[in-house]
Amino acid sequence: MMRTLAIAGFLAALLLFAAVEWAARRPGSRVPSLGDVCAYVMRYEVGPVPVGRIGVFGFWWWLGWHFLAR
Amino acid sequence: MEQPPELTVDLPRVWDRPVVTVPVLACLSLVGGQLPSFSAQANLWTLGTGGALVWLGLGNRVPRRPAPRRLGRGAVWWVLPAAVFGVFEAATFVVSAGSEFPTFSRLADPLLADELVRSAAWFGWLAAFWGLVRR
Repeated sequence: MMRTLAIAGFLAALLLFAAVEWAARRPGSRVPSLGDVCAYVMRYEVGPVPVGRIGVFGFWWWLGWHFLAR
Repeated sequence: MEQPPELTVDLPRVWDRPVVTVPVLACLSLVGGQLPSFSAQANLWTLGTGGALVWLGLGNRVPRRPAPRRLGRGAVWWVLPAAVFGVFEAATFVVSAGSEFPTFSRLADPLLADELVRSAAWFGWLAAFWGLVRR
């Protein structure tokens, strides 16, 4: 029962990600795509340090290592 | 002789095209898909490919697409899927009930044991990473 709940919850989250991305790609949409959100976050800098880029790259690098190497 | 900026055009580099990048990413993914979890090779391959992409992304070696200067209010919609995922990931992690109430990682593990699925996951990870490098 709890296992089904977890699977349903994660599936719902993935479907919501896909639905928002689909909505973002419609012509004239006010919703930015996930790529635009990431690009906006990656613009963040503290002085000369690209904190946003380092953070996003670091997260994505860790995610790949976690799922594909561990 | 140096040209005035209005007369110069940034030509796309030969290698910076899908016809080149997709096969390269596919080859890297096929290799990664053969490497078993918890092996030194898998760790090195992940750290090597990811490190190379971070190196490319933090330098000015790859042309980038312009980033939006601001996000509209529609960006709030992204909170919804992130929150649903975060709630379930946090709940399954805190409860720590193993297979009874599994985390996302625990659910993905049996799927990623298959070499074809693992290679596809590798390709998705590398393609998204390449997309981030270009932003």
